[in-house]
Amino acid sequence: MENTLPKIVRKTSPYLRRPKASVTRMMRDVTIALLPVTAFAIWKFGMAAVVIIVLGILSMAVTEYIYYQIVDKLNDEKFKFKNKSYTLYNFSVVTSGLIYSLTLPDNTPWFVVIIGAAFGVFFGKLIFGGMGQNVFNPAALGRVFIFVSFGTMMSYDIDAVAGATALTVLNDDVFNIAVLDNFSLINLFTGIGIPGSIGEMSAILILLGGVYLAFRTSFEVRIPLAYIGTVALLASVVAIYKGLGVWYPVFHVLSGGLLFGAIFMATDPITSPITKGGRIYFGFALGVLTFFIRVFGAYPEGVVFSILIMNMFVTSFDYYKWTNQQITKRQKIIFTTVVLVTIVITIVGVSYVG
Amino acid sequence: MIKKSRKVRDYKALTRALPTLRYLNPPSVFIHLQNSRCKTYNLNVKEGDHVKIGEVIGIRHGGFFEQNVHSTVSGTIGTLIKKFHRTGRKVDCVEIINDYKDTLHESVFDRTDEEISKLTQNEIVEIIKEKSLVGLGGSGFPTYIKLATKDKIDTVVINAVECEPYLSSDYRLILEHPDRVGMGLKYIMQALNVDKAIIAIKSEKDPLYEILNQVLEVRFSDLNVKVAKLGNHYPQGWEIEVFKWALGIEVPFGELPTKYGVIGFNVSTAVGVFDAIKHNLPVIKRHFTMTGDAIRFPQNIRVRVGTSVRELVALCDGYKKELDEVLVIMGGPMMGVSTVSDDVIVSKTTTSVIVLENIEYKEEPCIRCGSCVYSCPAHLEPVQIMNAVKRNDKAVMKGLEAFKCIECGLCAYVCTSKIHVTDYIRKAKRLIG
Repeated sequence: MENTLPKIVRKTSPYLRRPKASVTRMMRDVTIALLPVTAFAIWKFGMAAVVIIVLGILSMAVTEYIYYQIVDKLNDEKFKFKNKSYTLYNFSVVTSGLIYSLTLPDNTPWFVVIIGAAFGVFFGKLIFGGMGQNVFNPAALGRVFIFVSFGTMMSYDIDAVAGATALTVLNDDVFNIAVLDNFSLINLFTGIGIPGSIGEMSAILILLGGVYLAFRTSFEVRIPLAYIGTVALLASVVAIYKGLGVWYPVFHVLSGGLLFGAIFMATDPITSPITKGGRIYFGFALGVLTFFIRVFGAYPEGVVFSILIMNMFVTSFDYYKWTNQQITKRQKIIFTTVVLVTIVITIVGVSYVG
Repeated sequence: MIKKSRKVRDYKALTRALPTLRYLNPPSVFIHLQNSRCKTYNLNVKEGDHVKIGEVIGIRHGGFFEQNVHSTVSGTIGTLIKKFHRTGRKVDCVEIINDYKDTLHESVFDRTDEEISKLTQNEIVEIIKEKSLVGLGGSGFPTYIKLATKDKIDTVVINAVECEPYLSSDYRLILEHPDRVGMGLKYIMQALNVDKAIIAIKSEKDPLYEILNQVLEVRFSDLNVKVAKLGNHYPQGWEIEVFKWALGIEVPFGELPTKYGVIGFNVSTAVGVFDAIKHNLPVIKRHFTMTGDAIRFPQNIRVRVGTSVRELVALCDGYKKELDEVLVIMGGPMMGVSTVSDDVIVSKTTTSVIVLENIEYKEEPCIRCGSCVYSCPAHLEPVQIMNAVKRNDKAVMKGLEAFKCIECGLCAYVCTSKIHVTDYIRKAKRLIG
């Protein structure tokens, strides 16, 4: 009788865990949220999109696999086919690879896709110690690397304007409503008939993914709201100052990689601040940077750049001397001041540019 | 999952509807002579002595926390042995072999209502101190110190929230003896000279709401007592949260609630006050929950203080046979202490024993989702404290105010990566302690 009794083990409280909460669920949700966008990309670009997506995911996964095998080898561990640090099991690497692929133009050469993916996952994630330790978003890092290094090899599909996306046009001729002749807002919204990266075109499908993630609480909805809201706010300020119509802010929000970046890249929890307040300020800073790069910078698009730049400042958002779980009154005052100053800077800047 | 989550699955359905069993005559009881605050003791009796219920058999020394040790059965003193206490340590216990006669000691007598109505604050405090009543919700803080407060109190709050999952002993206590709760509350109000009181319950406990209101209306119509339904959160039963939700008073960290005119007592403590004042009786029995998913028949049991948990496990038909490993937890599953053996005793502050199947949770790397930060009731940032502990950065631990942690366990509960965050915070508290 005695030996049939269960063994009593000792642990520390709490003994319960939230059912259903897991990293896999969160990462898988992001992948699921990306499916409509992916399907749209494949529908529009056919094999080209399939090749880019498959290559992107595979090369990230393989890089990670090789990396951990080498690490094991260096630590004199026995060869294991499966490694516990390997993040294919919890969809993390799949998510990164998919996001990365979807930000590429459809005519990206295959070796560029591979180089960018390998670079992104190695320098963006593995070198910092793997999942949960990375400073930079691997997808954004890979994307920026190939954009800077192989920029000439990728050009957007020539559709209406020679070699230009909606934002390139806007960058050349900042405040001209004529841009709408080529890219109507409804086209930008649905993604039909406009050039761009394979996954960044259809605003409605991206938003659909965002709504799904919000319902599943798998991402922090404050970041995209603050991000997109800030861009819209600054664009509205410019529109009012310049006497442009409502089309201007709407155009800014819908074009380029803003929605995609805000919903799928900026919200990566590992590379964003940890507090509610911090996340809002992070989104705001992203919005400001993106808008400034778009309007004042040399590049037509600033989403991935601003995400990478802000990734570096995440630790300072979380610095223990001013971080707070709640949004304090002091934070509110400072934030309001910063917003007002930004608006002033925008107006001053625009009066020089325009 | 990134969200503020203060909902904890409560599993109370296992025992909530079950009537309380009585297991009041164990063959022998074990009275612990030490606890976490009192390390030394005097024992006035020796082996073979005959004692009666309520008799003082010794004193636990510990400054403020000094208290008399009472016998909870009548019978003969056995040997001194070491047994596990609620705190998880082995402490000296004295065995009293039950003679099943239930003879009351001479000090136990009933006071008439008239006598009671004449008692002053000091007299009540003296009685409570002599009967060594402590916070029976688990804190073990001496009640006499609370009652002796010199601050002006506006409201007495009776905490019947019982927010920990699985527990239902307070629920059954109110359901079965609402009158005792009311009487206890009346005496507390008399001692503190207060005319306003609130009984805080969880909003989902509707039967209690009706019963308490009925009893208050019929029997205590002279008292200004309200029953407040609080939200179904965890840790709603934390005193600070109770005050915040029931009265809107926010007591800052490190300050006594009495300064803000409120004072809180657990329901079982209120019943203890009733026993002490009315019958001049120390806590000799208590409502107790034996539950969990690894026990065959979860039960609410009224037990004698000092009963061995092993007997109670047997009373519930033992552990589920198919399990290899179980956890035996004294107290709730969020904050309770896990013991290495079921050879523990029910002390007066033990609300429950929970037997759970041992599940090894697989920890994944932290993905900084922030659920712990959003959920923390003490407004801390658990994940950042955890990272500071990992790199042994004491300045950051202090800066992030790790000492404010109440160890409610919510951060580990909500963790997406199933990391035992609470343990890291505990470590931080020790490091900067």
